[in-house]
Amino acid sequence: MSTSDLTRPTAPSLLGAARRVFELSFGEMLWSRRTIFMALVVGGPVLLAVIFRVVESFGMPAMRVNGAPVAGASIFGVMIWMLYLRFIVPVLGVFYGTALMADEVEDKTLTYLFTRPIPRGAVLLGKYLAYLACTSLVVLPSVMLSYFLVVPFGQVASTFTSLLLDLAILGLGLAVYGAVFAYVGARLKRPLVSGLIFAFGWEQLALALPGYLRQFTVAHYLQALVPHALPSDSALSLIQGLFRQTPGATVAVSWLAVFLIGFLWLAMRTVSRREYVLEQ
Amino acid sequence: MANDTVLVSPAAAIVQADHLSKWYGQVSGLNDVTVAIPPGITGLLGPNGAGKSTFMKLMTGQLKPSQGSIRVLGTSLWDTPEAFARIGFCPEQDAFYDRMTGLEWVTALVRLNGLGDAESRAAAHRAIEMVDLADAAGKKIGAYSKGMRQRIKLAQALVHDPEMLILDEPLTGMDPLQRRKTIRLVKDWARRGRHVIVSSHILHEIEAMTSNILLITNGRILAEGNVHQIRDLIDTHPHTVHIRASNPRALAEHLMKDEGVTKLSFEDGALVIETRQPDAFYQRLTELAASGDAGAIAEVTSPDDNLQAVFKYLVRQ
Repeated sequence: MSTSDLTRPTAPSLLGAARRVFELSFGEMLWSRRTIFMALVVGGPVLLAVIFRVVESFGMPAMRVNGAPVAGASIFGVMIWMLYLRFIVPVLGVFYGTALMADEVEDKTLTYLFTRPIPRGAVLLGKYLAYLACTSLVVLPSVMLSYFLVVPFGQVASTFTSLLLDLAILGLGLAVYGAVFAYVGARLKRPLVSGLIFAFGWEQLALALPGYLRQFTVAHYLQALVPHALPSDSALSLIQGLFRQTPGATVAVSWLAVFLIGFLWLAMRTVSRREYVLEQ
Repeated sequence: MANDTVLVSPAAAIVQADHLSKWYGQVSGLNDVTVAIPPGITGLLGPNGAGKSTFMKLMTGQLKPSQGSIRVLGTSLWDTPEAFARIGFCPEQDAFYDRMTGLEWVTALVRLNGLGDAESRAAAHRAIEMVDLADAAGKKIGAYSKGMRQRIKLAQALVHDPEMLILDEPLTGMDPLQRRKTIRLVKDWARRGRHVIVSSHILHEIEAMTSNILLITNGRILAEGNVHQIRDLIDTHPHTVHIRASNPRALAEHLMKDEGVTKLSFEDGALVIETRQPDAFYQRLTELAASGDAGAIAEVTSPDDNLQAVFKYLVRQ
């Protein structure tokens, strides 16, 4: 053993290494080109909320169902379900989750992370945590902004708990979709296409079909947690409503936890074993 | 030629490759390489696409061998990443987190070695100073010149004070002054009892750092050992000598009788001889010069004395 061995620091543990990869990746991820795309995606509901507020300020109801005006809290519920949970969360999961390793490979910076004394799985875990922090930091403020624009001040006290629950569900959705697509990104060669097919093909189809297939979707468990009444004004929603079998909250959270841990573990294992050939 | 030559015992070797092969689909990146690299500085020399980077990626566990095995400091880095605490790697690719400053980047990377915040920052400062980039430490890497980017890459490789440096084309893009400083840094590193494996496709770069080389081409180790051993390897093959003389034709008449001479020609007024017995030939030439029988001999040069020629010759085989 050389003298330098005696003073050499101990290599960080999996979690310690993941934390350090997180700190390295977070800023890079937050200020990446993809963030512009993310800002546009989460800006949509805020823009709608602004339009709603402007229309309301002229004394006109922004939305009517069967001639009756819809309350702000209900509109916010629709936004949470239709825009955030069914669209924004899966989209961000696909675009960020599948790119966790792909970005490092494409930018050829993976070498610097893989030639340090840390488990390779820690690289994936650290980048996943950076994704979660990054998307949460952008999505959750957008939800809060939409909430305060749409829900009248007088209804805030009675609906604030529901907002907190919405935020928790969205955070959980980002975490689970992120884990699923991190695995897809680690495993497949064209992860983005596969991810989009999963989120907007498979999940929509499985939810619409009767039987047990819906149990293999993330959305099935997430929708069981939504405190708002689900909209039923589209043909697809009506079909889904006919066959809806919503699991209990405990079952839903348990399955989401299984998805989260299972796919994250699989993604880390895949990264640890996969050989990444960087093009010269 | 020297594909299975081992110049150092496996126990003493810092890198031990055993029938190591790597294929990218149908393309061979490295082909049945068995080699033991001794301690100190070793140069990995070969043209672009020869397999140097593949060999280094296999060494550093970035690639998994298709066949055979490779151990660095007694460990397979593919499944033992902890060993990177003892190894620093400077890759060839010009890839960075461009938004970070040099200091931030090196600090963030050395933190992955388990150093605390203050220690990491101090180590990064030291490493950046070693590569002469202290003035630019606070600048974003995206604003660095090619030479500065090379040096910051070198800084991240040596920041944790490793026992062994693996440097893939480290001098690319550096100006002559930076090259000289980097070469000195590498030699100083080895003087402290550490090991360096450095690749280049430019012979004089390697020559300036070490006489212990591995010649690699087409995914094979073509020859290994020190420059003189490499020279010995080709002494049995045609050896070219350029002679500038006052009367080249008279000289040619004398030398064509020499047993080892296989080819004789004139180029730009110089006599060019190809011989299979260079030692005997030089002795005869000295005798002729001393006697003056073939006129005055002004200059004798052999491109084969230059490592470049050795390399070209071996690559042609």
